Amino acid sequence: MAELMADRVEKLKDADVFVYHGKIFIPNTYTAGAVGSRFLIELRDHKKIMGTRCPTCDKVYVPARSICKYCFAQLDQWEEVSDKGTLLTYTVAGQSNGVQPVAPPIIYGIIQLDGASTGLVHMLSEVDFEKLVIGMRVKAVFREKRVGSILDIKYFKPLA
Amino acid sequence: MTTEKKADKKPEYIKVEIAKPRAYRWSTGKYLGKLYKEAMEKKRLVTNRCPKCKQLLWPPSAVCGRCNVEAGEDWVEMNDKGTVIQYTYLVFPLWDPHYGDRLANPYPTATIKLDEGVFLVHFLEEKDPEKLKKVKRVQAVWKEEGRGRGLADILYFRTIDE
Repeated sequence: MAELMADRVEKLKDADVFVYHGKIFIPNTYTAGAVGSRFLIELRDHKKIMGTRCPTCDKVYVPARSICKYCFAQLDQWEEVSDKGTLLTYTVAGQSNGVQPVAPPIIYGIIQLDGASTGLVHMLSEVDFEKLVIGMRVKAVFREKRVGSILDIKYFKPLA
Repeated sequence: MTTEKKADKKPEYIKVEIAKPRAYRWSTGKYLGKLYKEAMEKKRLVTNRCPKCKQLLWPPSAVCGRCNVEAGEDWVEMNDKGTVIQYTYLVFPLWDPHYGDRLANPYPTATIKLDEGVFLVHFLEEKDPEKLKKVKRVQAVWKEEGRGRGLADILYFRTIDE
């Protein structure tokens, strides 16, 4: 089997290799929904990060969601949370895949904002990779021109 | 931006748009690569022949499925003319999933038997449902630009009088 494989590899060495350049493009649009829309509109118009509270489970979900994932209660108590938070975990993506919002390297992080019970996935910037540490305090940086997207938060940067 | 005013009338819903294409590269392998290369550079269809049963393999492949022997390099250039075996008349908006191009609509699609005996599925130029019934002999019309995508280098098959 090994000889056969070696033979194949030898044969393929001189072969013309043809590379097909494909491009998957499936444009689609969906609605953020009633709760998601309100969350994004508050972000766009007032630079506020909002969450919804479940009184039974004593949890504040950020980003806001309409149903508590533990007790399935309908959530209608809106609460503003701080734009400062704690880094729960992070990773550094060095490779571009064409659909990322900014050029690599990108630091992705999960940030628990003060007042929230859950983590928010976002990006970090203005920080050296060596200085990244779980538990560090970070602060949201908002865009000047906001369009109603989670990217209206430009990134999170370390506090002080 | 007055959200309060809008909220009185009708709640605003945010649209999330995903409109970025994802590029990918795929190595066709040696045998299919030959077909793709010939189509791209010389606008012709080629395939290889089984050394044992002497039948044409389609698409070109490394092993003959009938005889289970290595097919080798017996390449045959095929005529790009053929006969329509069956067709269907599709009226439906679609995207080409491999490239994201909008497909023509309507697009009659046919199984075409090339003169060498190879079957392939492709589009027809004729778009009149009545005239389609009489289409027999067809010839490939190749793209002038942007070739390199195998059989998609053929735009469609045009009706010929023979």
